[in-house]
Amino acid sequence: MQIVKRVIDWVDVRLGVRELVEENTTGYLVPRNVNAWYSLGTVLLTLFAIQFLTGILLLMYYIPDTEKAFTSVERIMNDVPYGWLFRYLHAIGSNMIVVALLLHMFSVLFMGSYKKPRELTWLSGFTIFNLGLVLCLTGYLLPWSQLSFWATTVATDAAGAVPVIGAKLVELLRGSPSVGAQTLGRFFALHVMALPLVLLGLIGFHLFCVRRIGISTAPFGKDARPARTGEKFEHELHPNGIPFFPNYTMEEGAIVCFFLAALVAVAFFAPQLFIPPDALVPADPYNTPEHIKPEWYFLWAYQTLKIFPSKLLGLGVQVAMMTFLALLPFIDRSEERRPAKRPLFVTCYVLGILLIIAISIWGHYS
Amino acid sequence: MDQQSVPSPQRRNFLLLMLAGVGSALGAMAAWPLLKFLSPSGSGGGSTQVKIAKEKIPLGGAYFFDYRGRPAVLLEPKPGEYVALTAVCTHLGCIVKWHKDQQKFICPCHGGQFSAEGDVLKGPPPAPLESYQVSLDGDQVVVG
Repeated sequence: MQIVKRVIDWVDVRLGVRELVEENTTGYLVPRNVNAWYSLGTVLLTLFAIQFLTGILLLMYYIPDTEKAFTSVERIMNDVPYGWLFRYLHAIGSNMIVVALLLHMFSVLFMGSYKKPRELTWLSGFTIFNLGLVLCLTGYLLPWSQLSFWATTVATDAAGAVPVIGAKLVELLRGSPSVGAQTLGRFFALHVMALPLVLLGLIGFHLFCVRRIGISTAPFGKDARPARTGEKFEHELHPNGIPFFPNYTMEEGAIVCFFLAALVAVAFFAPQLFIPPDALVPADPYNTPEHIKPEWYFLWAYQTLKIFPSKLLGLGVQVAMMTFLALLPFIDRSEERRPAKRPLFVTCYVLGILLIIAISIWGHYS
Repeated sequence: MDQQSVPSPQRRNFLLLMLAGVGSALGAMAAWPLLKFLSPSGSGGGSTQVKIAKEKIPLGGAYFFDYRGRPAVLLEPKPGEYVALTAVCTHLGCIVKWHKDQQKFICPCHGGQFSAEGDVLKGPPPAPLESYQVSLDGDQVVVG
């Protein structure tokens, strides 16, 4: 232990790490009324780390070639020791990330934490959410199964609804008129290199915003505070708060363990939830399977396109909704954050969530 | 025992020890599948016996093939006489080249030279080329 202390002393003299660690752990006070929902950021960081790790491992055996991709995934599942485990963790982990992203976003909305001065935190978080969905979409094609092939065909086809440039846009996404080797090449490059790099940058910026501005107080009880509207930067301090470490870290650890337990439980006992039968058949560009459906988190978008008489209208509604959500902090500028004092917002919030769930269920059974 | 009677540093050390134990156990549980996943399966994945048609091996020349996941070479120095050797130089692992005119292997990396039987003739290689068992099966030469 003496040698460890000497190494830390050596680094501390040069970089002042003890002070840095103290500032960000025991000396970093978070609001006393912080709740479990605040842990979702850490849950997401953990899940993203698992995706990076398992993704790198899968890359060692996966072959991005239309002739070999499916066989290489079969090999990972059947021949490579514990390959099935890492693939399940990766595939199920991506679904878990979407769940955590949605919960994180809904909790931030409900608690009004997106309001001034946290507009940039919200915008970067919302972009991360969308990027997460694009990562799911691009990764979905890689096994080159019937499911991945046709789900990608349907998803990329939606871009065709854009006026004037629609057809060109579809071709640009696919790299060819229909999904093929070119599509696999560009989706692979996006999934394993371009998008993770952007994601890392965005996560870094998001964390910087959270740390720089300070954690928002939950808008419940006597500690509730309105959103700040001052024109000068001010770090939100919590002098009577609890230390980030060990007090709050322990609470976060428990929530992270809960999510990890759920991930492992699904991977071991119900992986078929996310690997339906069509995912076990190699892609056949001349044979569309019946009732092909996108993943659960795209069902609302899929059904919206079908509800409206024209695809363009459906796409327009989706774009309008996403733009509204992205710009919400600039639209909702009131200081009030307590849900009980925001009846209109809470009503829209609950109805909006119920509507999305209903449309998704409709999409699943349609 | 009264909780207060246990000195705080002792409790802290105990908890740290427990945490380290649980952490190590979980780490080992995660490390084992990782290690197995990364370990190459079998002896390079190649077959233990390779059959090569006689017509592929030129008299006095060499035929290179894959044997147990590594490059190997088959020679026919005299009609009906076959020699199978590893093609991996024993110096630093480069692949040796067969020089038909000189009837010897020369390593392109550092000039190591081997005879048709794999013995070191010249240069830095510390050991001869490993030889493999050869038998005949009709029109085919069986290595291994």
